[in-house]
Order: sequence, then C-alpha cells, then structure tokens
Amino acid sequence: MVMKSSVEDGDVGWGLGVPEKMRNNANWVDITHEFKGACKELNLGELLHDKFRFGLFEAMSAIEMMDPKMDAGMIGNQVNRKVLNFEQAVKDGAIRVRDLSLPELIGIMDTCFCCLITWLEGHSLAQTVFTCLYVHNPDLIEDPALKAFTLGILKVCDIAREKVNKAAVFEEEDFQAMTYGFKMANNVTDLRVTGMLKDVEDELQRKVKSTRSRQGEQRDPEVELEHQQCLALFSRIKFTRLLLTALIAFTKKETSSVSEAQKLMQQAADLLPALRSSIEHGIQSQNDTTKGDHPIMMGFEPLVNQRLLPPTFPRYAKIIKREEMVNYFSKLIDRIKTVCEVINTTNLHGILDFFCEFSEQSPCVLSRSLLQTTFLIDNKKVFGTQPMHDMIKDALRYFVSPPVLSSKCCLYNNHQAKDYIDSFVAHCSRPFCSLIQIHGHNRARQRDKLGHILEEFATLQDEAEKVDAALHSLLMKLEPQRQHLACLGTWILYHNLRIMIQYLLSGFELELYSMHEYYYIYWYLSEFLYAWLMSTLSRADSSQMAEERLLEEQQKGRSSKKTKKKKKGQGARPLSREITMSQAYQNMCAGMYKTMIALDMDGKVRKPQFELDSEQVRYEHRFAPFNSVVTPPPVHYVQFKEMSDLKKYSPPPQSADLYMAASKHFQQAKLILENVPSPDPEVNRILKVAKPNIVVMKLLAGGHKKETKVLPEFDFSTHKYFPVVKII
Amino acid sequence: MATMIEENGPSTHGRGELSSYSSRARQKLESLLNKNMRIRMTDGRTLVGLFLCTDRDCNVILGSAQEFLKSSDSFSQGEPRVLGLAMIPGHHVVSIEVESDSLVGTQGFGSSH
Repeated sequence: MVMKSSVEDGDVGWGLGVPEKMRNNANWVDITHEFKGACKELNLGELLHDKFRFGLFEAMSAIEMMDPKMDAGMIGNQVNRKVLNFEQAVKDGAIRVRDLSLPELIGIMDTCFCCLITWLEGHSLAQTVFTCLYVHNPDLIEDPALKAFTLGILKVCDIAREKVNKAAVFEEEDFQAMTYGFKMANNVTDLRVTGMLKDVEDELQRKVKSTRSRQGEQRDPEVELEHQQCLALFSRIKFTRLLLTALIAFTKKETSSVSEAQKLMQQAADLLPALRSSIEHGIQSQNDTTKGDHPIMMGFEPLVNQRLLPPTFPRYAKIIKREEMVNYFSKLIDRIKTVCEVINTTNLHGILDFFCEFSEQSPCVLSRSLLQTTFLIDNKKVFGTQPMHDMIKDALRYFVSPPVLSSKCCLYNNHQAKDYIDSFVAHCSRPFCSLIQIHGHNRARQRDKLGHILEEFATLQDEAEKVDAALHSLLMKLEPQRQHLACLGTWILYHNLRIMIQYLLSGFELELYSMHEYYYIYWYLSEFLYAWLMSTLSRADSSQMAEERLLEEQQKGRSSKKTKKKKKGQGARPLSREITMSQAYQNMCAGMYKTMIALDMDGKVRKPQFELDSEQVRYEHRFAPFNSVVTPPPVHYVQFKEMSDLKKYSPPPQSADLYMAASKHFQQAKLILENVPSPDPEVNRILKVAKPNIVVMKLLAGGHKKETKVLPEFDFSTHKYFPVVKII
Repeated sequence: MATMIEENGPSTHGRGELSSYSSRARQKLESLLNKNMRIRMTDGRTLVGLFLCTDRDCNVILGSAQEFLKSSDSFSQGEPRVLGLAMIPGHHVVSIEVESDSLVGTQGFGSSH
C-alpha cells in the first residue's frame, strides 16, 4: 500500500501514528445484516451502550452525520461541483498557471486582497487567503506576475502573523493565528520576493509606457484598454511590494526603519486611487447555479480546506467586497502611519497618552500589534534604545521632580538613596509595560484587564510609601531645606486614578451600564476620583515648583549676570492642561449625576424590580476591582449613601434645584473648555455635549414636560462618555 | 460486562424463548462496544471509530471517529478528517464492519447462530 506522502509534508498531521495505519490493514468483517437484525430486538427508545463510559450526556454532544447543519463534509448535498485542490484543478484544466489574461490577473489579485483583509479582520486563513488555490503552491505558477504576487501575499501573511503573535494583544475574536500547516513561502527569502515583484513591476512599466497615448496620434481603443489594464496590474504589483517592504521594515530593530515604513506606506496610499478606478477591469465571480451556493471566482475554491476545520466551523467566511477593499486599505495605511509617529514621543507619559488615544479609535489587530512591537523591541528596550528604567526616572522628574533624581541634590549620589530609588524603579518596570500592553488590546478586553492591573499598582503604591518615608527622613538629615514628601506615592497615585477613571468611563463606551446606574457611576467619578486626581495633580505641581524655586536660588547664588528673570506665571506649566481637562471632566460628571438624581426624583428613571438582588449588590459589583486599591480607599455602598444623602441639606433640594445645579456644572465645563488654547477634537466633542445640556437642564428646572411619562433619552453619539440628554 | 440501561420503559420480562433470544441479541451487540467499527454511509463516505452506542433504529454513535472519502479503502486520497463523537442515522448506514479480532467467542457476531 502506498503511504500518502502528504503526511510527511508536516501539514495536517492529526496525530495519526503508525498503529492507526496498521489498523487499516486489519481484516474487516461485514456484519451489517446481523447488526441490524440484533438492533431490531431492542425496545423502542432503548439505548445500548457502556454504562460506565458513555451516557446521555455524551450522546447529546455527538455531531449528527448527513445533517447539513452539523456535517460540514457532507458530499453532494450543498454543492454540485467537485471540490478540487490546486494540483487537481491544474491537472483537470480547471485553472491555468500560464497565459492568464490581464482581466483575469486583476480579478484574482483583487479577490486575494479581499481575502487578506478578511483574514486580518479575524477569520481563519483556511477560509480566506487559502481559498485561493494559487497560494497553495506558487512554485507551480508559470505566469511571472501571478507567481510574484502570490509569494508576496504569503510573505505579507507570514510577517503579519508573526507580529500579531509577538505583540500578544489579541484574543480569539480579534485574530486566528492557526496556519493549518500551510506553507508560507519559507523556501524563498523576503528579499527575493521583493526582487521578483520589482522585476514584474519594471516589465509592466515598460508596457505601460509603450501603450501610452502619444500627441497627435489617433487613439486605438484596444491599445487604450491594454494600457489601462497594464496600469491596473502595475499598480497592484507595486502596492503589494510596498506593503511587503513596509512590513519587512517593521521587523528591523532600528528606529530609522520605522520612518522608512512610514514613507513606504505613504507611497502605497498614493496608489490607492489607481487601484480604485481599475477594479472594474478584473473578471468577476461566476455564479454557481447549484442551490444556495456562493459565486465562485476563478482560481478560488471556498471549500478546499473544509476538511481541515473542526466540524462545527461555519461553512463560509464572508469575504469583503472589492468595492470596500480600497477603503479598508486606506484606513489601514492611515493607522500604520499613525503608529510610526510613536517614535517621536520620548517621555513615558506622552507614550501612555499616545497609546490611549490610538486605542480610542478601535484600531485593527495588525496596527495595534505593530505599535506594541515598535515600542518594546526584542531586547526589552523602549524603541530598541532606551531602557525602561531610564524612562521611568524621566517620567518621575517630569511629573513630580523628586529631589533624589535631581543632580543638584545631595541625595543624587547618596548610596543608600540610590539603592532605594533604583529598586523602586525596577519594580515599576513590569507594571508599566503591562499597562502599555493592556492599551494594545481591543476596547472590551482592555476594561477587564485594567481592573486586574489595579492589584499590581496597589503593591507599587505600598512600596512607594515606604520608599518615600525612607527618602524623606534621609533628606531631612542631609539637606533640610529640601523636602521629599510623598513624591513617589503621588506619582503612583496619579496612575492609579487614571486607571480607575478609564475603567469606569469605558463602561459607558461599551454600553455596560443601565440608566439607573448612571448616577452612582458619575458620582464616583466626579465627587471622588476626579477630586482625588485634582488634588494629586496640584500636589505634583507644587512639588515641581518647589524644585524649580530651589534651582533658581542656587543659580542666583552662583552668577548674577546669567540669571534670567523668570516672570511669574509665564508659560503654561507642564501639568496645566491636564489639570484643566480634569476640571472639565469633573464638571461634566457632576452635571450628569445631579441630572440623574433629579430625573429619578421626577420618576423618569426606570428601575429594575430588584427581586433577587438590590442596588447595593450591583453597586458593589461595578466597583469590585477597586477593592484591591489602598489609596484612594474604595467607597462602599453604605458610605456612598451617606455621602450622597441629600437630606443632610436643609431644606433638601428638589429636582428643580438639582437641574439648575447640573446646568451650572455644564456651564462651568463650557467656560473652562472655551479657554483652552489650541483645542483638540476632544475639547470640541465635550463642548458639543455641554452646550445642549445647559439648555435642557434649564428647561427641566423650569418644569418643562414634568408630567410626561416618556423617559428621557441619552445620546452618546457625540461623546462616548457624556450623553446629550434629550427630553421627548 | 457492560449492562444495558433502559432509558425509556422496562424491557420485556418473562417472555420465555423470545426474551432469551432478545438478550442474546443484546449480548452480541454489547460484545462490540468500544471496539473499532467501520461504517459506510449513503453518500459514499466511510467513518471509522469506536462503537459506543446504538438503538433500535440502528442509529450508531462512534467515538474518536475519522471520516474517509472514497469508502473502498481507508488509504483514500487526503487525510482522514477527525470528527470526534459522531452519530450516523440508521437510514444512512450502508454497511457495518468490525475487525475480525473483535469477533470472539460464540456469543459474538459471525459465530454460528
């Protein structure tokens, strides 16, 4: 018996060892008749099985053969065509590996691009790129353009997969990393493939030039068509080469290659209009006339890999349409270009902000992964050059100017102080790397992970307090005019608060909260978290100013001619923008929570029946991740109720008072934001919510539509955290 | 020896000759439990797996089932597809085979009866 060589290829080796094969040689005895006869002796509904090893529970999970819903391998039911693999199709004459026309090539390439995009969007390789028969074995292709192209696509897939795996910021809903043993052009080098693409490109460029319209010449429509089609093919080959070269650049360790990638991406973007206008030249899928089947594109077989997939996999992955292909590429290129910008940010806080902002547009898994691997290259250094420890020290200097890190302070060279601070910074490294990695996940997963990392930061906070105390007492002895106070603790607290705030706000973005929960979420944010954040930021600011004053005095003492008169309050302080934005956010949250309480008073908030649970249970659940945080201490339900009790005012406010108060908060936010120099899109978004809310609250305070039973609507389409309140 | 469980109602008792014939049928079937079985289906595919369960309508459940195309020999083209636990409805069963080693003793199939 001939052993099928495909087993040795290392592809689908489903663990078939030798014993299995031997069993196939065994003598099989036909017992059909007796078996069926014996079965007839069983009673209706009686099951015959091993009592100990098999029962109804197991029986229930068996897939039913010959049922189209569960039996993906059923023959002859769903499709009338024979499903052929690449080699079979070539032998059969069903597809050609040479003498392909320009429209055929264009159509095949466009469909391949669509498959590539569909894979990047989370489907399996087996149901996307590898439904193209040509990519299974490019060595068999004789057409040079198609050969180079398929190798290019394989390389793109290979590098993309490698990056996504390495970055590890994906979950099963984002990406399927399985390669099913498919060969990804490993026998050819990256350089060779780009070279092949360039050769084809040059050849096509010659053709394009030779078919170009010349002045004074009558234009032959056939030549014009050929010119257009050559141009179309040329653009596609060049686009593939640029995309591949850009990805190769990302695999290099030098930061300079990131800038190179950015340039290449721009060049690829410049080709997109040409791609878009020439899609029509490609051949379309042929409609399969069998029942309920999808149109089949020449060179593609959607079911060719069906046997590699688990039985319960859906039959087809929906490949995106060609019309959407260019739009997707355009956005992808924009994202990758943005990713390249990260190397221009040099401080840790700036990088964190960059990651947060990038994540807010819900970018694709590939761009997120590229951002991660660009930030922390293999050798665990930031951008391959800076050790994380140095970045953390710089961040501390920028935020809170701890004396121990200032070269002018005696502690800088103090052996013991150095030990303390170095050890602390070393312990900060991993949590901050984790934090940056968390911001690389998709929005939903991020929230969950942010909740978990609070535990690590709580440990850091503990250590920060101890180191602060030690450094403080040390400094008191050695340099009493300087004070260390709680620098490190302040810095960790700042990050803690940021994480907690992000955690709560993302609940709005992900639409997790019910309306009746808004009031305590916004309360926690405005009365508690933002209040703490404001005081933390101002403490950090004072710490900075104290250091600056000291340095000024030291300089004054040295040379009087070199002292610059620093005007008071000149220039924005480094943290001023953040303080301003936090104030605005706090006011927005305050406005919202007062609105919700007032609406509740007017019976406009629908509450659940609370049969088996209570508001306390839900409250505790929402804030559960905060229980591991030491500072700020979590606010438990009873305490929250006390703190937010309106009866402590006399007279206790009515809904009208609360609406007015809310209106004032929105007004305050508007004032603050309108004074922000060089407003960014975020500022404008908040303003677009604050302005209408001011008006709505005033109307409600005046008793507008008080009697209506219709509930208000909350429109988060302008800003995902703060809704425009609409009274119907 | 595995005993049979009656999921739906009691089996017939004390029907003399008829009952002993039925119990012999059951014993024959039971002797095949957990043995390798090869079943050809109406669409030409062959499943090979461990015989785990059957019922009156000859619906058969195979464990660790592998699916082969082109039923005649298990070395058909391509790799067998691993299905795991699979149920073949009785009316789609064309043939049932077991390995000759599984047929032991006078109680099993293939022996004189």
